[in-house]
Amino acid sequence: MSLLRVCAFTSKRLNTQLLFVDLSFAGCLRTASGAAKDKEPLRKAKTPQGRFDMDDEKPKDPLQKFPDDVNPATKEQGGPRGPEPTRYGDWERKGRCVDF
Amino acid sequence: MAAVCIASRVLTKKVLSSKALPAVSQSSRKLHFSIYGKSNAKVSDGISTQYPVVDHEFDAVVVGAGGAGLRAAFGLSEAGFNTACVTKLFPTRSHTVAAQGGINAALGNMENDDWRWHFYDTVKGSDWLGDQDAIHYMTEQAPHAVVELENFGMPFSRTDDGKIYQRAFGGQSLKYGKGGQAHRCCCVADRTGHSLLHTLYGRSLRYDTSYFVEYFALDLLMEDGEMGPSTASGPRTQSSPLLWLTYSGSCTSAHTSTGDGNAMVTRAGLPCQDLEFVQFHPTGIYGAGCLITEGCRGEGGILINSEGERFMERYAPNAKDLASRDVVSRSITIEIREGRGCGPEKDHAYLQLHHLPPQQLATRLPGISETAMIFAGVDVTKEPIPVLPTVHYNMGGIPTNYKGQVITHTPEEGDKVVPGLFACGEAACASVHGANRLGANSLLDLVVFGRACAHTITDICTPGEKLSPLKPNAGEESVANLDRLRFANGSLRTSEIRLNMQKTMQNHAAVFRTGKVLKEGCDKMDAVYQTLDDIKTFDRGIVWNTDLVETLELQNLMLNAVQTINSAEQRQESRGAHSREDFKDREDEYDYTKPLAGQQRKPIEQHWRKHTLSTVDPKTGKVTLKYRPVIDNSLDAEDCAAVPPAIRSY
Repeated sequence: MSLLRVCAFTSKRLNTQLLFVDLSFAGCLRTASGAAKDKEPLRKAKTPQGRFDMDDEKPKDPLQKFPDDVNPATKEQGGPRGPEPTRYGDWERKGRCVDF
Repeated sequence: MAAVCIASRVLTKKVLSSKALPAVSQSSRKLHFSIYGKSNAKVSDGISTQYPVVDHEFDAVVVGAGGAGLRAAFGLSEAGFNTACVTKLFPTRSHTVAAQGGINAALGNMENDDWRWHFYDTVKGSDWLGDQDAIHYMTEQAPHAVVELENFGMPFSRTDDGKIYQRAFGGQSLKYGKGGQAHRCCCVADRTGHSLLHTLYGRSLRYDTSYFVEYFALDLLMEDGEMGPSTASGPRTQSSPLLWLTYSGSCTSAHTSTGDGNAMVTRAGLPCQDLEFVQFHPTGIYGAGCLITEGCRGEGGILINSEGERFMERYAPNAKDLASRDVVSRSITIEIREGRGCGPEKDHAYLQLHHLPPQQLATRLPGISETAMIFAGVDVTKEPIPVLPTVHYNMGGIPTNYKGQVITHTPEEGDKVVPGLFACGEAACASVHGANRLGANSLLDLVVFGRACAHTITDICTPGEKLSPLKPNAGEESVANLDRLRFANGSLRTSEIRLNMQKTMQNHAAVFRTGKVLKEGCDKMDAVYQTLDDIKTFDRGIVWNTDLVETLELQNLMLNAVQTINSAEQRQESRGAHSREDFKDREDEYDYTKPLAGQQRKPIEQHWRKHTLSTVDPKTGKVTLKYRPVIDNSLDAEDCAAVPPAIRSY
């Protein structure tokens, strides 16, 4: 890996050489990952911190964007995503009250 | 380690907005300070050889770069003044960025609207403690201010035909309360404050305002009661995100909102106004400083105490958890006071949502599980959320007239302008919010009065006006204080004193206010104030000394806290956000629950429809209270009739 970086910094003339290096390194990586697949990935605790570290558990944003950013019910363009923030009498977003 | 600290004295007329900020320190290099190549800074050893002072000359200085500060700063630059903006945070990090709600203006895009109706709503919302001339100014200028922001590039949400979309919010009505709900709140998706700040900052870069970023303003220098130069200095610092730099145990303000503006004014001998009016929200997440929406209770969430009891049934048998905000806040506080609080310190309540079907939560309140996990660390489908009443906004601040000029008051002469000093934003009290702020009005307050300050200064002064020379030793008390704190070697740490102050304020000056509790609180706060003499700091350095800056901020917070609790103790009535169990009614000059005919008008000493003006002696912590009448006439009686007081019911 570090060799790759050094190549990148040196010169443009080395581009072709870079490609060769790239291919050979890719080959190395494939074999390396093949070996790594046997081992279990490190588990992190199910703490909030641990949860957010794991990419596969990353929650999708609960507030979906409207098509074309136009709210179908009120025809508002560029307005807040998700249900109407003032529906409970205060300004709500993701369960948080930001103004009342 | 003889490090050298630079103190800067920034000479000129001051505009105080938001809060003040820290400064850069130097190592022992050759000292010179030039901004944009203008070497108008002079270094002097007049005060102390340890702390050389750098003097800068500007036409106008703005302390604080939140919404109001930025608007004032570039308004002045636009008018040709040589302006400096001193800010302890980078401008786009000011707390305005957290204001996600909207901004009210009577543009009339959704239905026929009139700013005079907005005026009526705001006067009523303030429980008739707001100055009607300032409210008239704000609501009349609101459409111009919003259109101006839109012209600066703020991307408001739009209707189909391209006009700014307005929604219903914040107690706004049509036809003086008789025409139903008004739609006046403009917003930018879900980040109005963020967008406002970035728009204003971007706009301000067109003009050559000099920014002193991460400079902490220490003090105002008054000469003969007139606003002289101001002093800003201190090592560069960053407030630690783990600490609560506020004077309440639980609040939604940023850690950097430490009441620096109010404190600087107090140390200069000027009064602060209406500091006892603090707006609470019943369900703020414990330890996190964000609020949970009332919608949670609306969808079926319940509040429980340590015994697992749904205690709202006792306080509001019919409405239960859907009772009004002040009832809920008071109920939670009483439960905690009586020992049924939850958690190891028994100081909060629980908001339970796990009895509701998770699907319902996800569809009706999307995002709440994320919020609860991030801020409270709980899985909302399994555990309750810890909540307690939380401070959200302070209606009080530095008293100004509707033009933004800071005023003092004497019974003989009435309101008197302090020459050279202006204030706007949350730090000021114009007073448009009076005893209670309406939603979406505070962003409006920022831009209108920031603009007003800039216009007033343009009218009164000319750019390049020569100032009277500064006394060579001006600012020596500030530098002495800085030095004293830097080498403080008492026995109590800054964090301990701050925690004591926060606990005292949360226990005694929160939502539940009675004479006995407040009096106890005043005595305890006095004791905590005296412990400031015994403070101990650890960092003696001069670069990135967070200990020193937090201690300076603690001094500011203390000044605010003692004024708040003493003003609350004296005010024996319930008005707007200040409600007392032992004095549940409003006390005005007439009894407005009965017809006025035949009633004797009470003199101002016998009723409470007046502003509190509090001053503190910084050495002893003793608070003196005076009062100032409310301004009941609008700017133009023919254009907009003033609203006579009445009972406030919705």
